[in-house]
Amino acid sequence: MLKTLLCVDENLASSIALRFTAYLNKFISLSLFVVHVEQPDEKEQVGSGWVQRVWEEGVGANGRRAVARMLRTENIDCPLAGRPKIFVGNRTEEIMYELRSGSYDLYIEGYLNIADSEQFYQVISSPLYAQAPCSVLLVKNLSISKKCALLCADSVDSKILVEKSMEILGDSTFGFDIVYFKFKENEQLEILAAEEGGGNLKQAQALLDGNGKTANNIIVLSGTPEQVGDYLKDYALVASTLPARKSMHMSTLANSLASVLLLR
Amino acid sequence: MKILVVLDTHEYSRNIMQDVTRLATNTLADIVFLGVQEKSNSKPERSLVAALLRYQHDLYSSFSPEDLPYEEFSNMEWQKKKCGDWLLSSRSMKKFTLRIRTGSVAKETISLAAEIGSDLIILGCSSQYGCEWDGEMNVPLRIARNAPCSVLVIKKVGRVKQIVSILDQSAVSQESLEMVNQLVTLHDAGLKIVGVKEQGARQDKIERQMVELLKYYNERRINAWIKLLNSQEIKDYVTTSSREGIVALWMGGKKSLLRKLFSRSMVDRLLGTTQSSLLVLR
Repeated sequence: MLKTLLCVDENLASSIALRFTAYLNKFISLSLFVVHVEQPDEKEQVGSGWVQRVWEEGVGANGRRAVARMLRTENIDCPLAGRPKIFVGNRTEEIMYELRSGSYDLYIEGYLNIADSEQFYQVISSPLYAQAPCSVLLVKNLSISKKCALLCADSVDSKILVEKSMEILGDSTFGFDIVYFKFKENEQLEILAAEEGGGNLKQAQALLDGNGKTANNIIVLSGTPEQVGDYLKDYALVASTLPARKSMHMSTLANSLASVLLLR
Repeated sequence: MKILVVLDTHEYSRNIMQDVTRLATNTLADIVFLGVQEKSNSKPERSLVAALLRYQHDLYSSFSPEDLPYEEFSNMEWQKKKCGDWLLSSRSMKKFTLRIRTGSVAKETISLAAEIGSDLIILGCSSQYGCEWDGEMNVPLRIARNAPCSVLVIKKVGRVKQIVSILDQSAVSQESLEMVNQLVTLHDAGLKIVGVKEQGARQDKIERQMVELLKYYNERRINAWIKLLNSQEIKDYVTTSSREGIVALWMGGKKSLLRKLFSRSMVDRLLGTTQSSLLVLR
């Protein structure tokens, strides 16, 4: 079972993330834990000792109620492995601590699909993503597809892409496509022959075979990040290495209509 | 549901009958076929009468006899409602009406839609010069802009792979959701729900609507995706999308952002660039 931590806040992105996680559970056996962090206003923090403890308990109780409301409203068909974990403090710090101490295999949170590469870059280069001890799934949409894309490109380390994606998806019942992206300013997206994919693509394919999996399709796409991002909508999720900097690869993930699994 | 189908004797009207019959089959709506003749005569023009009766036959033939919700006309004599306005009507489980009016196609369509309280107007158009009707300027544009209900302009019949629905702050009615459902089912297409946010404005409401729509379609096993765009990006996005599929625009009230963004020229441009259909939802 994949030990998974899902961050739930009382917002719409979490609503989608909850539903998608339940959907994911049909394909990957998840041991699901839910976390929520109440971030109080600094001005609200008063006193010390037992006064602060009472205050924290009150804030924590608010968080528990919020999570309970979300779980009740969404009523997902996915059992929780334990009681929701409610923390009070800095969101990034608390989640990072939980990820490390809990030895999770996967962290999931929702991300409303805004076609803004800059904003996406801010999110994935934030400490939570850059330093997470496990792979991170950014849930953007509620796809009902049964296939995953492994996103490959010249700048992508195929070894990390395949090995890390197999750690998460290897035991799943998803089908796999390898999608190789070549940037070009085209009027329309072009699908090229597999031979146009280059060495990285062949390596990815060989590594996937070595893991006992076969790609259903090898697709080489030539186009802009917006065009490729749109193409990826037919996948449940797109597995990718974490882009280290602003690039066409990063832009493609920002424009992807499918959820993005950032591999570490 | 009440559907008003605007028809004439040209090929673009014949071509839309396939989609009209499928919509009628799926929705079991009350249907009105409207033909508008230019000149004021003492009786309906023969060619228009023949065309409307032919379209009626096409519609009725799409149902098996036991499933047909409409009745044949008991009396084939056209009733005169007023000068230049005639009808033939039947009622069984559902009502079917042939209506012929005189004057401007756009004006008579909008007037009749208001009179009967139609939920949807459907019309075809020629793609030769953008999106036009023979004999009168800007018919689809004027109806799309001014109708009191939703309008579906079918330019080219054929299966599309995606429907792009553009949402702004307007309230989304159950009827309009159903219309989008029907189009998705008709074409077995995926659905993109695109929210438009204005610079500096709060996006809570639009986000909430988008997520509710996503859940609504997801529960119905319809492939749907959400995307949020800035208002500056929407025009180009919609123009590009219109080349690839059906665009459904939710045009709301006076404060509707889309009404501000989509000027007459923009709707005209969309009608010109769309390869298949444009659905204006109200």
